[in-house]
Amino acid sequence: MSDYPDPEEEYELMYADDLELLREMDDDNDTNPVRKKTNPAKRSLDFSGPIAAKSSSLIPNNATDNNQNPNNSLSLSQSLQPLEDLLTQENTSNGGEDILTQINENLSNKRTAEDLFGDINDIDFDNLELPSKRQKTDEENDMDLINKILEGRKIRQMLAEPSKGYIDKKPNFDVKDNLTRNIPRSPKAAVASSNKFPGREYGYPATDRSPEPRLLSSREHREQLEAKNQQKESNELVQETTTNDSETTDSEMSDLWVERYRPKSYIDLLSEEPVNRALLHWLHLWDKAVFKKDVKTKEPQHRNTFSKRTGQFQLSNKWKGKKENEPEVDEDGRPHHKVALLCGPPGVGKTTLAHLLARLAVSLIVTVGSITSARLAARLSIVAKCEKLRINPRVLSALAARAQGDIRAALHVLSFLKARAKAQVNIEDVENASIGTKDNAKSIMQALQALFTVTDTDPNAILKTIQAAGEYDRLIDGIFENYLTVRSDSRLLIASETMSWLRLYDTINSWILRHQNYSLYSMLPICVARCHSILATRQPVKLRFPIQGQEMFRKKTELDSIVWSVWRGSTASVATTRSALRLDILPLLPYLLSPVLRSANIQLCSETERKSLATCAGAMCDYGLQYIQQRTPEGLYAFVLEPDVYKVAFFGNEDCVRPPPAVRQAIAREQQLEVIRRNDEMMSRMSSRSKSSQAATSKPKLDTKDTAAREVKEMRIPNHLQRLQPKAVQKITPQVQKDFFGRIVPVAQVQKQDAVSDVISSSSVFYQYREGFNNAVRRNVRMRDLF
Amino acid sequence: MSLWVDKHRPKDLMKLDYHKDQATRLKSLVQQSDFPHLLVYGPSGAGKKTRIMCLLRELYGSGAERLRQETMHFTTPSNKKIEIMTVSSNYHIEVNPTDVGIHDRVVIMDLVKNVAQTHQIDSSGQREFKVVILNEVDDLTKDAQHALRRTMEKYVTTCRLILIANSISRVIPAIRSRCLTIRVPAPTETEITNVLQAVCKKEGLSLPSELGARIAKCADRNLRRALLMCEACKAQQYPFTSDQKVPEPDWQTFIRSTAALILSEQSPKKLGEVRQKLYELIIHGVPPDMIFAGLLRELVQNCDMVMKCQVASYAAQYEHRMRLGNKPIFHIEAFVAKFMAIYKKFVEESLM
Repeated sequence: MSDYPDPEEEYELMYADDLELLREMDDDNDTNPVRKKTNPAKRSLDFSGPIAAKSSSLIPNNATDNNQNPNNSLSLSQSLQPLEDLLTQENTSNGGEDILTQINENLSNKRTAEDLFGDINDIDFDNLELPSKRQKTDEENDMDLINKILEGRKIRQMLAEPSKGYIDKKPNFDVKDNLTRNIPRSPKAAVASSNKFPGREYGYPATDRSPEPRLLSSREHREQLEAKNQQKESNELVQETTTNDSETTDSEMSDLWVERYRPKSYIDLLSEEPVNRALLHWLHLWDKAVFKKDVKTKEPQHRNTFSKRTGQFQLSNKWKGKKENEPEVDEDGRPHHKVALLCGPPGVGKTTLAHLLARLAVSLIVTVGSITSARLAARLSIVAKCEKLRINPRVLSALAARAQGDIRAALHVLSFLKARAKAQVNIEDVENASIGTKDNAKSIMQALQALFTVTDTDPNAILKTIQAAGEYDRLIDGIFENYLTVRSDSRLLIASETMSWLRLYDTINSWILRHQNYSLYSMLPICVARCHSILATRQPVKLRFPIQGQEMFRKKTELDSIVWSVWRGSTASVATTRSALRLDILPLLPYLLSPVLRSANIQLCSETERKSLATCAGAMCDYGLQYIQQRTPEGLYAFVLEPDVYKVAFFGNEDCVRPPPAVRQAIAREQQLEVIRRNDEMMSRMSSRSKSSQAATSKPKLDTKDTAAREVKEMRIPNHLQRLQPKAVQKITPQVQKDFFGRIVPVAQVQKQDAVSDVISSSSVFYQYREGFNNAVRRNVRMRDLF
Repeated sequence: MSLWVDKHRPKDLMKLDYHKDQATRLKSLVQQSDFPHLLVYGPSGAGKKTRIMCLLRELYGSGAERLRQETMHFTTPSNKKIEIMTVSSNYHIEVNPTDVGIHDRVVIMDLVKNVAQTHQIDSSGQREFKVVILNEVDDLTKDAQHALRRTMEKYVTTCRLILIANSISRVIPAIRSRCLTIRVPAPTETEITNVLQAVCKKEGLSLPSELGARIAKCADRNLRRALLMCEACKAQQYPFTSDQKVPEPDWQTFIRSTAALILSEQSPKKLGEVRQKLYELIIHGVPPDMIFAGLLRELVQNCDMVMKCQVASYAAQYEHRMRLGNKPIFHIEAFVAKFMAIYKKFVEESLM
């Protein structure tokens, strides 16, 4: 029996909802005005909206029951179910609970605190609230309260254990009665009970803990009561059915079961206990920053000792964020981790947990594990009971197993089954329900693994796996990439056989895609399955993910883009089909692009060398290639051919043909010169053509043929641009001046009019105004006028 | 200064180096008033395009040689924008519809419609039709080919089609029957040698006849390749020697080495290596059927006569399947695996 770390604290954190339950019971009686103030806060939680409506419809029944039954056994039985929180948390009339008034007195202080921070509600608030409050209030009373609730809780938890099923719930009514009625008043009793804490089973939902010896007595007690109460329970069920029928049918239209049976208190959480506790503790650390209250500093120590001794905390919880000796609180009194991240598969209760701990925000990582199907089944049984669904526990466990830990999905299925208005739900219904299964798609690798592994059980299993995996193309690629390594014979018969199926697959798939006719689509998985029958082995195989095909496709696209850019860049005169470019021209072009030069200095080259260089430059111009200076990683500049036809032309041995850097530079220069030359030639040809067109087409055709032949070589500019070229300046022949009426004006008159300008130009001083021509400003000034 | 292939391309029908009688017939065809649609087919490098350009020149004069490149834009029925490069003159437009893949039908219909709807302004002394040249017709989708059939008839007054294909076996009969088919056979090796000699003479070089013959042999009856090889030889070493190395396209060498790899050992491990080589070939854009052909040619050389038939029939069968499918690597590897199986069996049997 080890000491539980700060037992009261832990306890209160966990069972705060019970405290609240007690509190609310009182409130309904004494109509405390302060208590009422918490209502808006409750409403502020978004998820509680629909529930409020629902619970308000349910609770009057309880109230009447409670009033009728002074022993309270019936009402408490309901409150002991997880649903109780739903019923009791809401601030509705829950009359007849006059037993706990004395506790209410103790709690009055707390309520005022709650009013101060009205928007914080639900258990986490209480959890945070209680420890600090207790320091202020009478310790004795607190201890009593704790003690009592602890007892009740323990028993309740035991009863709520999944393995026991909902039948076990009955006995604890009496226990709870005892709990509420007999409050130990003496401090000694409180101390004694607190000593017991360490060994206690704290009502963890986890089933993996072995029951403590202490529980045995209560369990015996429960068993005795069980028999007694069985009769009562059946009566109760009937009673419930009759009374609640109308309300439930009304309300079930309005909200989903998922919402209705969402855990409303800490204890209802199905997620791993240490995780919940860690989160709660973390939230508690915020107290100082948020509520200006002291956080117990000894807390971490206790935790650590606890974890050291038992190893349980450390092992069972996933809270890895905290180091052993690291202070949990930073200098400002805030927790070390500011944010908590909840992660886990869908439907395990992340949102629920978060809602429960609402708004007291969020970075330490808490992994929410999946719910065991046993626990899920237990919860489902409760839900089923509440909804008056008679379901065999076996069916429920099947349903739970089917949901694979996703309580949301399971509840949806249950709701679906209810909606079909069947009184009895049998296992076939669950099996055949088309909803609520988790996404059971297999990943490609899983399917591949299955493909290469022998299955003895079901010959059709592999087909199902293949169909679940879906992406047949990827599967086929996976087979193609792995079949040689997995199973092959030296005679290659297996390989041939496998390939024949792959070929068939390819043919069928292409046919389907080409004709958009999916009638043969079901053939595809069969092809894959046939490969399985050929290739499956018993040895464990290491498979590679099929990436080769995609990698090849990527490389192919890269090379295609090079060919494409060459093709687009080549001049119209050498335009050819891309296949010819790819197969004939590009593979041989690199040889032509590397002329043998004795020296990189062109001036020193011989005539033939210069000619070959010119050929090279011309070819580069024709095919739109050029050398571009690029900075190498070493910081040097290198001439790189753009687009890099070497890559297309050669299979990895292109470097032997690449010209040396000096030659590249010479080629680059020559190529640029060639570009300029061609542009010049084109410009001059434009003008010559315009001239020749002016000279009329009377010229013999043979003459134009030569120019045309040249034009064909290099013409790239479209016709509309050619027209925009400036015309050659024509010699201005002396024009005949005409007057307005078109009569020819004699030359003498014209010259007379120009006489003035002649004077200006002939004078010794001449001012020319750059901007415009203005007679007003312009006048002749002679030097002698200035003297 | 451009490549010999481009520089020494004949521009006139009468100056063609081989298939001269065909050239005469083409010339007389032009002189007649009714010029039909043409379907020109023959292997790559045989001179189809050269002949067509000569024909255009014969039809329209030198104006047909003023070429320009333009990009045309089309919109598919599914509102996808596609663009395609065209080479055109005032009298003709040349396009390669397979560039846009499965949308080739749209290109063909729109392009031919565009061209056909514009009449020649001045038809006096000129042809009243324009010419649309479609490349690689055998690679057109069936859809496009059927669209073509209708278009050909509809716009026959204003436009003529010249279709170019490597083989007419994949051209639908409806199109074949609507065209005058002109087969341009690959030049023989002697013809290639003569052309090489002529070109070298024009360039002022002397080509040893042995080297010319070797180049012609290596070029696989592809004149374009032969000329490029010859020029590459010249770039590598001049003056020519008769025993100098003839540069070859690297993919041919690669196919040979792959075949050698297959013959060297028949095992799953080797098959894996071969696969990498096949992938390399495919990503370099060597058409899968050429890979098949190249491999078969190399492999069969090392086979017994009985095996030859078997291997060839498998190759045909697998190649046919490959054309139906769209993952060539499966089919080529399947062929390699099959060949390895056959070869190994044969070797084991002969050893016993």
